[in-house]
Amino acid sequence: MHLEATNRTPEVSISDSVLEMKGECYPEDITVFAEPILESLAEKLEACDSYSVSLELRYFNSSSAKFFFDFFEVLEETAAKGKSISIEWRYRSSDNSMKEAGEDFEEDMEDADYQLVEI
Amino acid sequence: MDSHDFHKLLLSRGTFFCYSGLLSEEVLSAISGIVREQVSDIEHDSDLTTRVFGVFIEQAQNIIRYSEERLAEGGIGTVAIGHSKEGFVVEAINPMNADKMLSLKGNLEELQKMESKDLRKAYKQRLRDGPPEGSKGAGLGFIEIARKSSKFEFDFVESPELLFVLKAWIVP
Repeated sequence: MHLEATNRTPEVSISDSVLEMKGECYPEDITVFAEPILESLAEKLEACDSYSVSLELRYFNSSSAKFFFDFFEVLEETAAKGKSISIEWRYRSSDNSMKEAGEDFEEDMEDADYQLVEI
Repeated sequence: MDSHDFHKLLLSRGTFFCYSGLLSEEVLSAISGIVREQVSDIEHDSDLTTRVFGVFIEQAQNIIRYSEERLAEGGIGTVAIGHSKEGFVVEAINPMNADKMLSLKGNLEELQKMESKDLRKAYKQRLRDGPPEGSKGAGLGFIEIARKSSKFEFDFVESPELLFVLKAWIVP
């Protein structure tokens, strides 16, 4: 699955072992954006033994925050079942908002390997 | 007021962007790129410009939600961004239903009293709990505005329909 970036949504690519997302996220309708991604991710997680996620966001709005919360919950639940899940939250060194957001999502991660990466 | 007075008024108060009318997600798509560019032209600190943009998006989406509720009554809104040597100000004005006023007032007064670490906690808690009853968004928008801005003020004005006015300052 590959989605090109738009001015309101990030570039997303989902393969059997890696999900990457890069850009800004404040879609017109968060459900329309989120559902196919969460569905595809669930399929890949079901089929894999290990999975990597890399997120590099510059901005997301409050409606998208709920999507990311659900997204990380799915990853953590999968890790809790014994699969190897690694997550990279990449943020620019000057970007305090995205650093804080990354730290907030990190709080709920126990079994998934979650790394904050300053770029 | 003459047209040129209106123009001069906007200039004199440092308002470099102003949209007034029916606001929809389609309209927001059309203007958000321009707003992003304008803010970045004025200020090069990307952390600051993202905060200004973030507050603008939340304010605009608040108006959209209120407009949807009131479409039959022709709900419209105004959203504007200004700049002075102190920093940026994002203003939104929209008609609202009077029955929501007290709960909104209470909610915003509570947010005004909170420090940034408490706002951060409140945001996380709201994410966990999901939207409050009767909220069209995730209920996070005002917490986000309070977090990203340096301070905010609000008012309810009867003129004669009830207008909700929200003004947020974003300074370095």
